[in-house]
Amino acid sequence: MPAYHSAFNAPGGRMAGNMGIIPIKSKIRGPAPPAPEDQEDVIDEAIDFFRANCLFRNFEIKGPGDRTLIYLTLFIQECLQKAAKTATLADGQRQLMTLAVSNFPIPGDAGFPLNTMFEKPANRADADLLRAYLTQCRQELVTRFTQRLYEQDKPSKWWMSFSKRKFMNIASVGTTM
Amino acid sequence: MTNHLPAVVIDNGTGYTKFGYSGNNDPQFIIPTSIAVRDSVGQAGSARGQTVTGNLASKRGIEDLDFFIGDEAVANAKTYSVHNPVRHGQVENWDLMEKFHQACLFQYLRCEPEDHHFLLTEPPLNAPENREYTAEIMFESFGVKGLYIAVQAVLALAASWTSGKGDQTLTGTVIDSGDGVTHVIPVAEGYVIGSSIKHIPIAGRDITYFVQQLLRERENSIPPEETMEVARRIKEMYSYVCPDIVREFRKYDVDPATWFKRHEFVHSVTKKPYHVDIGFERFLGPEIFFNPEIASSDFLTPLPEVVDGVIQSCPIDTRRGLYKNIVLSGGSTMYKDFGKRLQRDIKRFTDDRLRASETLAQHNLKMANSQDQVKAGQLEVKVVSHKKQRYAVWFGGSLLADTAEFYNCCHTKAQYEEYGPSIARYNKVFGSML
Amino acid sequence: MILLETSNKILEETLRERFNSGPEHLLIKLADFDGVTYQIATPESKTQLVISMAMGCYDECQRYGADAILQREYGSLLVSTPEPGFAVTLKIDLEQLPATPEAKEQLVQQVAHLKRNALAAPFESAFVAQCEGRTTDLMAVHYRDAEAIYCQAQADRVTVIFSTVFKEETDRIFGKVFLQEFVDARRQPAIQNAPQVLYSAREPPLEIRGQPGLVDDENVGYVTFVLFPRHYATPQARNEAIGRLQLFRDYLHYHIKASKAYMHSRMRARVDQSLKVLNRAKPEQPGANKEKKTASGKTFRRM
Repeated sequence: MPAYHSAFNAPGGRMAGNMGIIPIKSKIRGPAPPAPEDQEDVIDEAIDFFRANCLFRNFEIKGPGDRTLIYLTLFIQECLQKAAKTATLADGQRQLMTLAVSNFPIPGDAGFPLNTMFEKPANRADADLLRAYLTQCRQELVTRFTQRLYEQDKPSKWWMSFSKRKFMNIASVGTTM
Repeated sequence: MTNHLPAVVIDNGTGYTKFGYSGNNDPQFIIPTSIAVRDSVGQAGSARGQTVTGNLASKRGIEDLDFFIGDEAVANAKTYSVHNPVRHGQVENWDLMEKFHQACLFQYLRCEPEDHHFLLTEPPLNAPENREYTAEIMFESFGVKGLYIAVQAVLALAASWTSGKGDQTLTGTVIDSGDGVTHVIPVAEGYVIGSSIKHIPIAGRDITYFVQQLLRERENSIPPEETMEVARRIKEMYSYVCPDIVREFRKYDVDPATWFKRHEFVHSVTKKPYHVDIGFERFLGPEIFFNPEIASSDFLTPLPEVVDGVIQSCPIDTRRGLYKNIVLSGGSTMYKDFGKRLQRDIKRFTDDRLRASETLAQHNLKMANSQDQVKAGQLEVKVVSHKKQRYAVWFGGSLLADTAEFYNCCHTKAQYEEYGPSIARYNKVFGSML
Repeated sequence: MILLETSNKILEETLRERFNSGPEHLLIKLADFDGVTYQIATPESKTQLVISMAMGCYDECQRYGADAILQREYGSLLVSTPEPGFAVTLKIDLEQLPATPEAKEQLVQQVAHLKRNALAAPFESAFVAQCEGRTTDLMAVHYRDAEAIYCQAQADRVTVIFSTVFKEETDRIFGKVFLQEFVDARRQPAIQNAPQVLYSAREPPLEIRGQPGLVDDENVGYVTFVLFPRHYATPQARNEAIGRLQLFRDYLHYHIKASKAYMHSRMRARVDQSLKVLNRAKPEQPGANKEKKTASGKTFRRM
């Protein structure tokens, strides 16, 4: 039984490079199409699968959903590293939100760690779309993830113990911290 | 029972030797297969690069009886040098092995070997020469009444008969997982299919290491020198196999009170108590059998896939029997639901294959313009777990050695004297009609 | 590893475990030297431990007062009618164990010495009689099929005679060497106090001549121990003497086997060395006479 894959691998959605612009449930402004409120979206998936998937070193990409999943999994790893230095929930929310909107590379940029698997967006418009989409995803993920991560106002050790794991042998998505 | 004293059953494993009298449910002794002998330092013998044997020549009196075995050997490691005569299931040092047996018989079991029959075990693919050596020791040194050398995997099959499920056959796949290595051994009608045996470098010790690693990433209350022991205890007390990791993680999130455990350990030296929280390692430990990737980087094939591959490489007429009777043996197969998960995962492989061949056949029929529906016969996959799993090999031996048939199958001392050690090369398969 | 213990290790360990952990269903059958078998079981409830022993020569021991000794050692633990097929049965209620660990351990030791105590009867009665200045008849215990212990208190000493059978020719020779060593060893000043040992092969010693069941065979040997009051006057010395005498036969056979094992390891070493010599003596392969290369790259053929 290999690692867990996204349920949003069906082709046909909107693409930027070879990454899909997958619908998410979000109140944050951005280009992502809205997802049905009563179902799990790719961000729920990423949080849910994280502790299982981060143990794996190999991951076979089966579709656009998996690319988003990989990106978000690695971003959670960054969050965990950041969260290790935070003291309270409020502090964590603030710091992680800063992390979400800080300067980060997108596929094709020099600092992006997954350039072997991710294609560079075809044109300037696509690149802008992708950056906006990822920013939105990151913010949304931080909002939801901090609720899970913090327990009695400090990061739960049941999550923090996974901060040193390297999914696919990569530690982060290249955000400049 | 009155005319025969119980037979002695000895299972020499790489790590532990299990031995006792036949007819019992558990071995009377389980001791490390270690022997501590006195190495005279600076003797000419050792200078010549010879082993213990060389030194013996210069000994007078009863120095050759100055040794310990088992736990006592480990306890005396400071003043004696400890050796392990068995490596990878095979006996490497016959001198020490002979002494080891000597102590087993006289000190531990207190039996006069001339009065008893003996059942010894051997690993699969053991060289016939080793059987001859064993026979030499047993008959020449100890003058045993009778000797039978059984293959461990076959005994493990016999042990599974007590489960009450499944038929009493000597056909089946044995998954034997101890501390060091896991073997997958197909057996057809009492004969091991040697060419198809597979070894997996994942076993009990690797689970312990993995649990230790997980603990180290989370718990800081454990003294560093104790982590190994703590990991082993946690593995033995709390581990189980889960059907699906993600769902298992969710269970822990929803109901932490029932799933997370806390155990109090006591430091072995300072006697200070400390607490350890136990969490995901409960199911992640045994998970490395099914997803070796999460712990090891050089061996990546999951156990179910290996088992399926082993059976597929066997002669076609044996495969159905091999799938139907997959028998577990050894301490590292004791995790709760290990059998269930294994069965489910193997079943997945066979079902996929059946479906593929169905569609293929259907396709061919369409080409021939036939309207028939193709339906492949169902293939039964069954993993047998039972209570005696931990010492299955010994228990199987104890079971077989308690039958009247055993005494007919033994090589007797008279035969040995007539024909010599070569009689031990062949050991009759028996027990199929028990 | 040199001496054998007088207690039964399996009994000892099983009891110790039972005494110190929760109740558990149990059925163990095991054997001891000289064809003794035990059964440890919990037939009625998990807290009632029943230990039975079968012993071929128990009726003989009984004749010499084994019952009294067992009564003394085990008291209320002893069950009046032993389990069918067994000679002695003890019953231990796990709920009424002694409270202190020391007392528990003592009980473990006592039970583990069951065989020793049963077989102690003839020796003890002889020792007691001799201390009181009485003599006894020759007491025979056929503790194995063709082997027996004879024991007699005489005016100034107690004589113990063993007959033993060597199943193998080599064993007989080893045995003879050993027993002669015993005789010689006694000349050392340090062990002057040891009992006198006499050994005779085939010919039974005077004391037991005319006893029924003596086998006249090459393979039979007789060992005679002559014990004087210093060996059994104090209770402690007496206990030790009994323990050692009983195990003498097993001890002898154990050492015969151990020396055979030793011989075998010497033989293996010798074979290894000879094999090395043989391997060196292999003739050169005909194909080895091929072209060889010099350092400069020229080839030549050695003739």
